[in-house]
Amino acid sequence: MESERDDGRSPSQLRPLSCARNVLHRAHGSASWSQGDTKVLAAVYGPKAGTKKNENPEKACIEVIWKPKTGQIGKQEKEFEMILKRTLQSICILTLNPNTTTSIIVQVVNDDGALLVCAINAACAALIDAGIPLKHLAVAICCCLAEGGYVILDPTKLEEQKMRGFAYLVFPNSVVSVLPKGSSRVEGEPMEHGIITSVTHGVMSVEEYLKCLERGRAASTKLSDLLRRSLQSQLPSDSSKAV
Amino acid sequence: MGLPDASEDLSSEMEVDAFRRLFPLRYFERHLSESIRPDARPLGRARDTTLALGAVASAHGSALAKIGSTTMLAAIKMEVMTPSTESPDEGSIAIDFHMPPICSPIVRPGRPAEAAPVISKQLSDTISRQVKSFLCYPFLLNSGMINLKELSLVSGKAAWMAYLDIYCLDADGALFDAALLSAVAAFSHLQIPIVSLNDDGKIELISEEDDGAKLEVEPVNKEKRKLTLSSIPFSLTCILHKNYILADPTAEEESIMETAVTVVLDSSSRLVSFYKPGGPVLAHTSAVQDCVALTRQRVKELQNILDETLSGMEID
Amino acid sequence: MAAQGGAAPSTYTPTPTKKTQRSPFFSDSDVDWLRPDGRGFHQCRPACGFTFNLLGCCDLIVFTYAGMFSLSLLSSCAFFSVLYSYMKGFFRTGAVNSAAGSAYAEFGNTKVIVSVFGPRESKKAMVYSDVGRLNCNVSYTTFANPARGLGSDNKEFSSMLHKALEGAIMLETFPKTTVDVFALVLESGGSDLPVVISCASLALADAGIMMYDLVAGVSVSCLGRNLIIDPILEEESFQDGSMMITCMPSRYEVTQLTITGEWSTAKLNEAMQLCLDACSKLDKIMRACLEEAASASQD
Repeated sequence: MESERDDGRSPSQLRPLSCARNVLHRAHGSASWSQGDTKVLAAVYGPKAGTKKNENPEKACIEVIWKPKTGQIGKQEKEFEMILKRTLQSICILTLNPNTTTSIIVQVVNDDGALLVCAINAACAALIDAGIPLKHLAVAICCCLAEGGYVILDPTKLEEQKMRGFAYLVFPNSVVSVLPKGSSRVEGEPMEHGIITSVTHGVMSVEEYLKCLERGRAASTKLSDLLRRSLQSQLPSDSSKAV
Repeated sequence: MGLPDASEDLSSEMEVDAFRRLFPLRYFERHLSESIRPDARPLGRARDTTLALGAVASAHGSALAKIGSTTMLAAIKMEVMTPSTESPDEGSIAIDFHMPPICSPIVRPGRPAEAAPVISKQLSDTISRQVKSFLCYPFLLNSGMINLKELSLVSGKAAWMAYLDIYCLDADGALFDAALLSAVAAFSHLQIPIVSLNDDGKIELISEEDDGAKLEVEPVNKEKRKLTLSSIPFSLTCILHKNYILADPTAEEESIMETAVTVVLDSSSRLVSFYKPGGPVLAHTSAVQDCVALTRQRVKELQNILDETLSGMEID
Repeated sequence: MAAQGGAAPSTYTPTPTKKTQRSPFFSDSDVDWLRPDGRGFHQCRPACGFTFNLLGCCDLIVFTYAGMFSLSLLSSCAFFSVLYSYMKGFFRTGAVNSAAGSAYAEFGNTKVIVSVFGPRESKKAMVYSDVGRLNCNVSYTTFANPARGLGSDNKEFSSMLHKALEGAIMLETFPKTTVDVFALVLESGGSDLPVVISCASLALADAGIMMYDLVAGVSVSCLGRNLIIDPILEEESFQDGSMMITCMPSRYEVTQLTITGEWSTAKLNEAMQLCLDACSKLDKIMRACLEEAASASQD
């Protein structure tokens, strides 16, 4: 019975999204992102001069600081920091500002499932708000694999607990390009079908993972259109900031 | 690679070692175009892997795994705990991964390596295989490699807490793969001590010598000396670079080509984890399938190595 | 997992039902202490470097276990006939590939790895220095001791290691830079510090750091009337006093001498001589190890 979800959503229906940018005044860029009751606030500071130790000074350095809702940072948060850092590194153009550090502070406001996904989307929006040049956007999505082998998207915390396994997937958004269609294809697949980040939990078969990928891709296309629209509509308001 | 032309000119007259240091990416790409790697491996082949059991006498189970020169030492110590009220007949496993300063020039004393807590978390996810380590869902626990019920001693009163500590002795790439292999081997080497319950409700050790002869106290775990491991997980890390897939990278390869994918499959070929934390190269479906195929092959190799090592133990 | 539901549950290591009975140690009979491993008082632990086959390969494993038994048999035969047998230890250089130099040492159950990094940039922004700096760190694994520990740094041993090596290294050969000597005690079986020091000097030699001489370390425990060389963990816990000498054997110079506990002057002299003799024997083994490594790399 695929359609049964506690909040009455269909399996591939996302929770209501909302994104607000420029919510903090001191930060160079900020955004809040919420999916249902999961809400994350991200702030960007930088680029500041110099890189940290053990970082390549010939490239820009990205630093992610994860602030949990309560308590101290543990292994789980360290892993999130690392995943977020590596994901953002891959969408930023690191050669533009060598020997600088950009800090992204992620504050969890409320966790109701798909937390990492929400944080990635928030951080991405905050980077745009700060005017950091990006190759493309990153669109994150959480796919859950239920007992019956069907896939549901964007789970709440309660649903997450009942699932056999889930996958956090991050895709690049589709690029609006003047180049003819298909020029950015890799081995017959459009660029936006490639995975930037994939983190899975729980046991599944390879076929089930591929099914998750497919469903995630379909949803990410819609999500990236939405993201693009919401970013464009906010553009005029922060023209003062861009100067 | 800002100056491709300059390197082109220089490369003809430069010594190989200097070229490797100055233009590492070009150095590797030249090898890759010939489908070979600087250490003479084909792209899809993992380094020589060895396993030795029982390296630490003071632990109840231990193993030393070596993949190339990446060396991991895993040891398990069993201690007794009072089980939680939610799961009175289950033991527990605590996994920690350490990178001491001896293993790599990057790690300094007093400042733990960034990678250590992340690998530690990945390992506990893979071995106890829960959906999330900070939450407890009873019906999911049994899907892991280890049945936590086997760690129970006296229901509600005492259970084993298995402390698994993995030390990286030499870090040369593919740390997670070597750590997981050593952890799995340590669990298969684990010999649970025979214990009994005394009058104070404390668990006491029964010494091996007077076994059988004069057992005034009844051991509580006579039959449960070994853990049954169901569906053992094995992993393979691959580097994606352009269209190339390099299995089991060295530290040098990992530092030059940044996109790494770690696939964990269990012995029944189910996917335990597909882990790709960012990286400039996107993984398309074909790459995903290639990585999984390489891992399938590697799982067979590793399973054989583990089986051989275990049967080598039994002969003695 | 451990942190389930907030605090980690407190755990304890189960202890044997009854403590092993040991006869009183220091009665006035002739034999008042039998070493648990059956060695003579002035005999060091035999070599058994096969248990931890760091450099070996998988094919050797079956052989390894067989080899171990025969070796221990051999050594036990040897010591019955010759009480003052040569010191035997197992050393191997080049245990860690990513370090500039490294060595692994195994004496009985004491297993130590030392890595040397550098000479490299001094990490702390310190004032200009004409001579190089030496930075030492000794840490233990959580499973090094019979009871599970925290695996923390051993500050005392770190500074002792520093003092023992400082005198032997030609610091002026690497001005402005630092040499890092990091030791990890994989398993503690007694006499840890002297093993760490000897192993560290081999690792320094492996890294090509200029030294006046190798540093060999040996410790002696005083148990009642007896002097016991190279004590194991159990003996260390019963000792009245202990002495450790680290010296440069070919120069016949002592780099560090520590004495703790109760000693009579006569005992002290005897122990010192015992240590120095053992050091020069240890030196031979260490040199043999370096020569072996050098000839292996030439082939």
